[in-house]
Amino acid sequence: MSEKFLARAGFLVLVAVSLMVFPGQQAESAPDSLDPVCELAASNDYYEIDLVTTRKVSGARLAKGVGEVSYAQSPFGISLSEDGSYLVNIDVSMSNVKLADDKALVAWVTTPQLDQIIRLGQLDENLKVSGQTDFNKFLLVITLEPRDMEPGAMWTGPVVSRGMSRSGLMHTMAGHGPFETEPCAVYGY
Amino acid sequence: MSFLKPRILVATLSLLLALPVAAQDGMDHSMHMHHNHDMPMGDSLVWRMAPMDGMTMPMMPEMMDDVPETGAFLPGFGMDVSMYPEARPSEIIDMADGDTLHMDASLVRRTINGQELVMMAYGGMYPGPLIRADRGSRVIVEFTNNIDMPTTVHWHGLRLENAFDGIPGMTQPPVETGETFTYELDFPDTGMYWYHPHMREDVQQDLGLYGNMLVDPTEDGYYGPANREVPLILDDILMDGNGLYPYGETTPTHALMGRFGNVMLLNGITDYNLDIEAGEVVRFYLTNVANTRTFNVNFGGARIKVIADDVSKFEREQFVSSVVIGPAERYIVDVHFDEEGTFEITNAIQGIDHFRGTFVPETHVLGTVTASGAVADDHGEAFAEARANEDTIADIDNFRRYFDKAPDHNLRLTIETNDLHPMTMRMMEVDTLYFPPIEWNEGMPMMNWLSTGDEAKWTLLDEDTGQKSMEINWQWEVGDVVKIRVFNDPSSFHPMNHPFHVHGQRFVVTHIDGVPNRNMGWKDTVIIPVGSTIDILVDVTNPGKWMAHCHIAEHLHAGMMLGFEVRDPSPDSAGR
Repeated sequence: MSEKFLARAGFLVLVAVSLMVFPGQQAESAPDSLDPVCELAASNDYYEIDLVTTRKVSGARLAKGVGEVSYAQSPFGISLSEDGSYLVNIDVSMSNVKLADDKALVAWVTTPQLDQIIRLGQLDENLKVSGQTDFNKFLLVITLEPRDMEPGAMWTGPVVSRGMSRSGLMHTMAGHGPFETEPCAVYGY
Repeated sequence: MSFLKPRILVATLSLLLALPVAAQDGMDHSMHMHHNHDMPMGDSLVWRMAPMDGMTMPMMPEMMDDVPETGAFLPGFGMDVSMYPEARPSEIIDMADGDTLHMDASLVRRTINGQELVMMAYGGMYPGPLIRADRGSRVIVEFTNNIDMPTTVHWHGLRLENAFDGIPGMTQPPVETGETFTYELDFPDTGMYWYHPHMREDVQQDLGLYGNMLVDPTEDGYYGPANREVPLILDDILMDGNGLYPYGETTPTHALMGRFGNVMLLNGITDYNLDIEAGEVVRFYLTNVANTRTFNVNFGGARIKVIADDVSKFEREQFVSSVVIGPAERYIVDVHFDEEGTFEITNAIQGIDHFRGTFVPETHVLGTVTASGAVADDHGEAFAEARANEDTIADIDNFRRYFDKAPDHNLRLTIETNDLHPMTMRMMEVDTLYFPPIEWNEGMPMMNWLSTGDEAKWTLLDEDTGQKSMEINWQWEVGDVVKIRVFNDPSSFHPMNHPFHVHGQRFVVTHIDGVPNRNMGWKDTVIIPVGSTIDILVDVTNPGKWMAHCHIAEHLHAGMMLGFEVRDPSPDSAGR
């Protein structure tokens, strides 16, 4: 990858972090116990990913979106890969988007270093798509692509929205808070 | 027995679960000293610095000299180790209907990592004797307490008669040193179960008081073919250069995250090896008896097929890349070692370095399987098929109409604090950006060690009534099908995964975060990850006064338990 690309990618990461809006943490209200129908939680809200528009793409400047995170089906409830990474389903949905007929939205996940990128898929006519990842920290990126384009390993169009996994909020304490006098460089930062 | 009123019960249980550890002969518990990290162990037991394996965070000056607000305690401390009998490996005790087993709990001598230690054992064995019986049988266990602490035995997962569930103050009085209690065990369900104390588990279970019960099917072809059956008990224990790391005397330490061990044990040893012939399908019966650690078990790349859950087979066998098993859970898995070689049994996790803010891959080698030669009786073809278990499916079919019913109870898992160390409070308030679904490693050993069961109050909050933990006393009847929605609140002071255990009944997990569970087995314990909402459907069959609780030993003793009562309305149950 070129230095120019990396610089742009790094900037994207910074913007994504700076625009991150934390999802709510409250449980849905419990349904009336006399109600025969169970009102189900949609996902694990704590790990939900808010997608924040870049405001750069015509027809999607006010786009809203969310990546709902749930564990991949597993006999153990929680799903892990062999090395212990969480294997999660991501259900992406977007709204407030008006696209030209020859354009489509495509969802991707990538590591914070942008050294690995996985195409989750093209959003359908309802602006939804689902996929899986076992990245521990990742960015969820929505791009605008030609509708009939062959799936590729990397996006080509502009970024419409992006968000970050909850785990991406972890950062070193060195140089911050109680450890503000700890030199970051000692710890490799 | 007559049931105690809830408030009296709460008080009694709290008292019993927090019972001060009885002094060992020759021990002086009044000698715990503060500011003594650098002191060598002498004639009296004092706190020393908690093991800090892999810790990158610099020690905060405010915490340097602090020790938990309870004394240090180790059974047998100060005694001549050689006076205790050497524990021997576990034996299988085949029991027929009506048989009686005489079993005690006692102090024993064991060697782990080259250090001679005073530990505890059932029947003088590590793990305790494996009780093997047919489904439908009833056996008697004459239990004698020969340790210097009161204890009881809980027969985890069995739908047995309430009087023998082993809950002090609820189903029986504590068994004092030298006393005997007779347990009658029923085995209505095929599978692997386990037994352990229900008093100061953080000490007694950690020191070796655990064993399995294998309930054999009475039907032919219940499981697919396998070349051998092997019980594997997963555990860890906390040690340093001076041996076992002390426990809290009157209340557990490590109350925030539970007591992670830094030495991994498989069937009680650090160098487990199983010799087999290449090509074998080995049926492993996995049990996690660790105080708090959840394992992610691999078999060196050998193919794994999961067969059964805690209390039944799954609806469908399923191939998996690893086995995730929380404290107190059991899984039965078939593993095909299709070529010669040495296969490492590992715990592969992504720990968290809170200071660096990174995931840290860790692999703990738990043991090995050495495959050589070639097996004559090759079950590879049968192994390759994932069977549908029509008996389990038919059983669960009876409950599917309840899957989408509204919850009968809504439970929130949370924590309250009481005079926690100020620096811990501040750190926890600062470090709120991310809590993982599961805590796989000891990420904050100093703060965790300093927290005791008196300062961290883990809480089960009934959202419908506002009652907390042992204030709760749900009333059910035999034949009820009860849905409990359990929510692990991520906005609590210290969210963490909890293995939620229901005594005396069985349940299925119907939904995980609103997603229907597509392959169920009957369970008695389920992991509730951080932020998750888990719906469980309880098949209420067993009358009596029972508990449900978190099976992290330190969380249980920090209050994370509730009560429920099952009445039997049938005419022939009058007077029960």
